[in-house]
Amino acid sequence: MTNETMTPLLEKYATQIETVLSKYPPDRKQSAVLPLLYLAQREYGYCTPEAIREVAEIAGVEPTEVDAVVGFYTLFYDHPVGKHVVQVCNDLPCALRGSDQFLEHACQKLGLDKHQVEHGGATTADGEFTLESVVCLAACDKAPLLQIDLEYFERLTPEEFDRLIEEYRKK
Amino acid sequence: MADLINLFIDDVAVSVPKGTLIVDAAKRADIDIPVFCYHPKLKPVGMCRMCLVQVGRVKLDRGTGQPVLDANGSPEIAYGPKLETSCTTPVEPGMRVITNTDLVKRAQKDVLEFLLTSHPLDCPICDKGGECPLQNLTLTYGPGVTRFDYADKQHLDKHYPLGELIFLDKERCIQCARCIRFQDEIADDHVLGFYERGRKMQIETMSTPGFDSKFSGNTTDICPVGALTTRDFRFRARPWEITNVPSICPHCPVGCNISLGTRRSAKGGGEWEILRVMPRQNEAVNEIWICDKGRFGHHYARSQARLQKPLIKKEGRLVEATWEEAFSLIADRFRAANGKAAGWLGDRVSNEDAWLFGKLFREGFNSAQLVNRPHVAGLDLVARYGVGVGTNLGNLGQGDVVFIVAGDVEETAPVHMLRLKAAVERGAKLIVANARETKMDRYAAISIQYQPGMDTQTVYSLLASVSNQQSAISSQVAKFAPSDNKIKAAGQLIAEAQNLIVMLGDERPYPVMVQGQYTDAGRALAQACANLVVATGHIGKANNGLLPLWPHNNTQGVYDMLSAQGAEALSGEVKALYLVGTDPIGEGQNLPPTDFVVVQELFLTPTAQQADVVLPALAWAERDGTFTNAERRVQRYYKALPPTGQAKADWEIFRLIAEKFGLKWSFFSAEGVMHEIAAQVAAYAGLDYVCLAETKEEWPPVGTSSDLYFGGTAYDNRGGVGAQTKSLFEINGRSELKWIEPPPPSGQSIEPRRLNRPGTLIDQSAIYEVRLRAAELVKIEA
Repeated sequence: MTNETMTPLLEKYATQIETVLSKYPPDRKQSAVLPLLYLAQREYGYCTPEAIREVAEIAGVEPTEVDAVVGFYTLFYDHPVGKHVVQVCNDLPCALRGSDQFLEHACQKLGLDKHQVEHGGATTADGEFTLESVVCLAACDKAPLLQIDLEYFERLTPEEFDRLIEEYRKK
Repeated sequence: MADLINLFIDDVAVSVPKGTLIVDAAKRADIDIPVFCYHPKLKPVGMCRMCLVQVGRVKLDRGTGQPVLDANGSPEIAYGPKLETSCTTPVEPGMRVITNTDLVKRAQKDVLEFLLTSHPLDCPICDKGGECPLQNLTLTYGPGVTRFDYADKQHLDKHYPLGELIFLDKERCIQCARCIRFQDEIADDHVLGFYERGRKMQIETMSTPGFDSKFSGNTTDICPVGALTTRDFRFRARPWEITNVPSICPHCPVGCNISLGTRRSAKGGGEWEILRVMPRQNEAVNEIWICDKGRFGHHYARSQARLQKPLIKKEGRLVEATWEEAFSLIADRFRAANGKAAGWLGDRVSNEDAWLFGKLFREGFNSAQLVNRPHVAGLDLVARYGVGVGTNLGNLGQGDVVFIVAGDVEETAPVHMLRLKAAVERGAKLIVANARETKMDRYAAISIQYQPGMDTQTVYSLLASVSNQQSAISSQVAKFAPSDNKIKAAGQLIAEAQNLIVMLGDERPYPVMVQGQYTDAGRALAQACANLVVATGHIGKANNGLLPLWPHNNTQGVYDMLSAQGAEALSGEVKALYLVGTDPIGEGQNLPPTDFVVVQELFLTPTAQQADVVLPALAWAERDGTFTNAERRVQRYYKALPPTGQAKADWEIFRLIAEKFGLKWSFFSAEGVMHEIAAQVAAYAGLDYVCLAETKEEWPPVGTSSDLYFGGTAYDNRGGVGAQTKSLFEINGRSELKWIEPPPPSGQSIEPRRLNRPGTLIDQSAIYEVRLRAAELVKIEA
């Protein structure tokens, strides 16, 4: 292996990566795996096998170790997802506050199959939205609620959902 | 001795060293606490919850810090509100552990019920069935029936290849992480991990090639279920049908103790086959590990390409002949050679073979022109200053120093790498000097990278910087006094070392002509390493002296035998040449000019194709004998398979040829030959097949005879742990410093030694081909 290997990420985000790495001691480069994965996911849309290898090389760890991190955290995606990821909590307390009907509406609005949404998520044909039914967003009292990308929207009605979707479609 | 802690386990008084875990303390008292994720060779993690016990501790008065006493004056015991994992809890004075109450039993039942929610009931076709911890513990502690609905069972991939050698059955995995921890802690190849979490958690690998580790097979041994299986063995046999034959790995100088699992098989046409190779516990040699080359490199013993009958060259073609024809021809031609005969002996044959080869030359052929091959320098120095009797890399720790020079331990003696890494974790210091980076540099206290060819100079720089050294060669050594601070620091480490082992590698140019002079750089390096241990007094004691990284399994033993037979270098004309287990032409070298060539081999190698007579020899698994490893431990291996064709054991062939010379040797077994070796070779005095077969109790205890949960019916060492021979220095106390001026670097490139390099034997293991090719790719890239 040569030292001059330049990964696409390194080429494009040299300064950002340097900033990330500078936050940790030089012999603890593996600490930078999470921030590097954010960067990679933003760049490629999801954590592709190539992205994982890139991050591993930059952080000086094995690709398997990086992949295990991707597998552990639910907000890292190992498969292609829409431009925006919508997560609706449908655990018991939320369901008591009507989240299941809310989810049904969301599926209808986006034209997605509820069974698919409940088993790993589904993506709209135009690639704009991925809808997932998840377990616990830690805000049971504010159900029905959802998370779009990293932002929370709480105590929602179907109308508010439609408005949100139109808003994000423009983003 | 460490402080002892006294406690009670199930009312049995136990006294164990401070820091011992409850699970191990119980084992000392013959109390079995069931485990899955715990393994005595791995750090505890407490993942599986199988080892839950009730723990009571001495109640302390909060004011005074003194034990609270009951009416009888004995300390009161406070039991915790919950069960605790005995695999992560160290013992405390006065502790009371209870392992057999209803509470504990219910916990064990519940844990097993959870583990079995998705585990398939395919025991009848599972490779592990019969030696499976999950099966054993379910029968002993399990609930018998489950309350879970079958519809909730997860259906997962059952034939998932992690790599070309290891398969994962995702349904069978119970997420104990023994495999991941082995790769992280022991092998230090971080190529396995957990993907997802909770019930979805699964083993994964992302390395290229998949599961890229030289030790991957060990994970199948320690897997407590049938989740990890080898491509070699999966679905080949049930463990109880297998006959485990004790053997010694025939590949590298570590001399790992192995068990050959043999059985007649339909796939093998109803013939006996080696179905699997597993480690056999020997804590002084390989503990319970072997490398993948040892595990998968056995196929040559049952290869279709093996020589079946003697061959004689007639009209330019090798044609089948009888042994009698071959022996008569050999006798005629070697008699005619009238002392102008030479023998080249490969370093894979047994001690018994080498001894009789030398004897045949001396007494029959009237010649002592015997060469052991391949050429390595320093065999005599290792015989003299090799590590002392009682050496055990597993005992190295605080105050001990290992110096590695001109060699890659992982590539030449893989299991040594595991044990040295562990020694460093116990406090031993490693100094690594090489022309390039190796895996050992990760563990080195000091890494020295020298210019290729400057190995000997580096050793002398080191010796010059050992502050307390004064010797006959001080003035010559002084010229090499280092300016490099790293070398000075390394010299300081050696000066302060209680024990010093010098690992002598051979990654350096072979003998070459430099400035019109024949120079053996290897000789100079070996002498420099010998000077280092002699000048610093690190010889003749356990864990002190030279430990070579020889190329093969019996390099040292073959040298010991031939030198005791008075071997001399090739000096004159050679009219008849006898080669055994060596293929110079295949390695791109030439034979000396000669009229008659005999080749004794397993395969029709390029050298054999040029021979006048080819004799078929038995493979190691088809006969018995002894090998001497790099630590000069003589170890027995046993016959596991019937012979191929008409092949005979090497020593027997030599005996039969000797008969043609009117020699009446009374050897009817390899054992008989060892009697003569013991009588005539000082270092081997007192050895016989009985003492070599002796075993001792191994700690930690693994294997079927001791527990239900470490799996493996092959760990038990029933074949003997071998015996380490004395170095010549230990016999006669003579040592000397000798000066060989370090040759200037020849400029010749040095090819790194690779474990997975193609070769006559390993090429016969088709399943190993990907590894050999991967090694080739690395070479091209480097």
